[in-house]
Amino acid sequence: MKYLTSDPAGEPSSILYSRCTVDFKSGKVQMEDIPCRNLEDVLGGFGRSFQILAERNISQAYCGENPLIVNTGLLTGSSAMTGMRTYFSGYSPVKESKKGLPAAMWSAGSGNFGNKFKWTGLDELVFEGCSPNPVYALIRETAEGPLVELKPADHLLGLSTHDKIMALQKEYDNAHFAAIGQAGEQWENVYFGAVTLSTDNQLKSGTDKMRFAGRGGMGSLMGYKNILALVAQSSDKLKPLTPAVKAVNINVVKGGGAARLQPISRGGGGGTWAAYDVLQVFHAVPVNNFRPQGNDLPEKLFRSQVEQQFHIKSEACHRCGITCHNNVYEMKEDGSPGEFLAKFDYEPLNLLSTNIGIHDAGLATQLIHLSDNYGMDSISLGVTISYLLSYNERHPEQPLLNGATFGDFEKIKELVEQTAQGKLPEIGRGSKRLSESTGETSYAYHVKGLELPAYQPETNPGYAWAIAGGHMSMGTYGLLTREGKSDLESWVHGITQTKLQIVGFDMIGLCKFFDITKGICTQMVVDCLKSELNLDVTAENIAAAVRRAFLRGLALELRQGYEKSEYTLPAEVWERPNPNIKLPNITNPEFFAELQKRIWDIFEPELARL
Amino acid sequence: MNVTIKLVGIFQISRFKEAVHEYPSGTRVRDLVDELRISGPLLGIVLINDIHACVEDLLNDGDTVCLLPFIDGG
Repeated sequence: MKYLTSDPAGEPSSILYSRCTVDFKSGKVQMEDIPCRNLEDVLGGFGRSFQILAERNISQAYCGENPLIVNTGLLTGSSAMTGMRTYFSGYSPVKESKKGLPAAMWSAGSGNFGNKFKWTGLDELVFEGCSPNPVYALIRETAEGPLVELKPADHLLGLSTHDKIMALQKEYDNAHFAAIGQAGEQWENVYFGAVTLSTDNQLKSGTDKMRFAGRGGMGSLMGYKNILALVAQSSDKLKPLTPAVKAVNINVVKGGGAARLQPISRGGGGGTWAAYDVLQVFHAVPVNNFRPQGNDLPEKLFRSQVEQQFHIKSEACHRCGITCHNNVYEMKEDGSPGEFLAKFDYEPLNLLSTNIGIHDAGLATQLIHLSDNYGMDSISLGVTISYLLSYNERHPEQPLLNGATFGDFEKIKELVEQTAQGKLPEIGRGSKRLSESTGETSYAYHVKGLELPAYQPETNPGYAWAIAGGHMSMGTYGLLTREGKSDLESWVHGITQTKLQIVGFDMIGLCKFFDITKGICTQMVVDCLKSELNLDVTAENIAAAVRRAFLRGLALELRQGYEKSEYTLPAEVWERPNPNIKLPNITNPEFFAELQKRIWDIFEPELARL
Repeated sequence: MNVTIKLVGIFQISRFKEAVHEYPSGTRVRDLVDELRISGPLLGIVLINDIHACVEDLLNDGDTVCLLPFIDGG
């Protein structure tokens, strides 16, 4: 970025970002400094990429005109804790309107790739068209500025995400990597391929401790373009920690919203896995395709149960003091860790275990490991499989595919492997298409074509207005369960005002755990921007920019053919209300109809003014 | 008065899962939280008789209080 002003809200065009466009059709690689149009452009991430996507008319995701945009946020590569995010944007292969038009999507991931990418001097990399041959892109710093080169990648074909990264590590030192797995290579039949991002821990230990930009199939789009990996090679350019940023970082770890994600040994809550225990009190842990049974089955995956058999180690992203990772290892006889098995986060764990009838931690680690190494979004994979299992339970006389049912690990594992290898497009193209092919759509747990994360829709009608997946782009997942809000006013306010602000994290380069309850419109972020970049911006400026970016995302959905009737929940929620969930029913048809009306009454005038 | 206390998740570590404690009238949820040395930032949800409540709420004889940690993200 080039800063010719300290006022990004008032003079955004005096801030320029460095973009490289790789056009496979013409063979040109063009470097430009682009003046920012607004504060959203300055902040980065989807705030910028969605403005580019809005300029394109795309009717199918797999076409040369659909770009893959790789960018960072303003605080990526900074000293601010969690500032490591990389964003991948494009029109999604998996998320589509009922009219069949692809939705714009972004997906974000940590790991150290984002830092290295930023430190090459590049802010954004746009891939146009498709490469005729498999390639990887090398992004490196030179004395003349960032340089992007394409390299043959035939030797990477067929390798897992982890193996691709380890192969590239042998060729490039001082670098970090983004790679797709076999699933992304099979883009025609796998629409939810993930992009994997390397971590320091992975490169040093040689174990597959990676991070993921999983949602929306950006790895499949990358595979369609025949780009198997990205290499960012640069010296480290972390600035010395200033007193202001140091104070913020201490607050993030000790006093901010992330304290409860700290390891239990440090007095924290133990990461996202802890949601199992909490949601189980309300019988709201998804079981067997989002049908909690009111029993204690989910407790088998409680941390307290799992740590009797496995060694759980708290680990962190590079330089992050939150240490929210719960890495599961085999436990040796003396209690010390053996082989690394998988990382247990709430969403992938639930959707690849309890929600498909698997109640054994060891089996869960195998499925998570497979999903990660093949390079698939564990949420879309898990939910599409749970739909299939539910269908087979309802049709025992004529089941689909291999006839797998809930809890049948061997058959489920076979489904995962064959999906990743492109042999099962029925699963690889997601739950919306699969359910439309069977004609039984009511229990397909997606909203607007994107599979739900592991929070019951009965607890979160806000899903309907999430623009990039449930818990990452609409922070209402705890409004009923955590805050106990069951009145219409609270939900209207949450969806249209406070909880949409969660998407700010997908602009600025910070992880949501920087301060998940307050978002980025805080003095902490203002202080970081001043100290790191000498930018004077208010929390109000940031909030307005985040809101505009969110509304642009909503407008883009509508332009891609979404009808208001698609802003809804899976029909099973009201067709077959689940009596086991011990929470007020806020997803009955009457409540939801009134919610829809009130929300559009607020959003529509603003959308008209965009 | 007797109050049943249920602790969830990490709150059970070095404490208990469920217990009945005796308190004087006028006791609030906060008094239980302080007595049990539960960290404020970690306390996410308070239920009294399965209904969402807050730490300032007064308790009555026979109440069941459930204390749950925060949940965040995924």
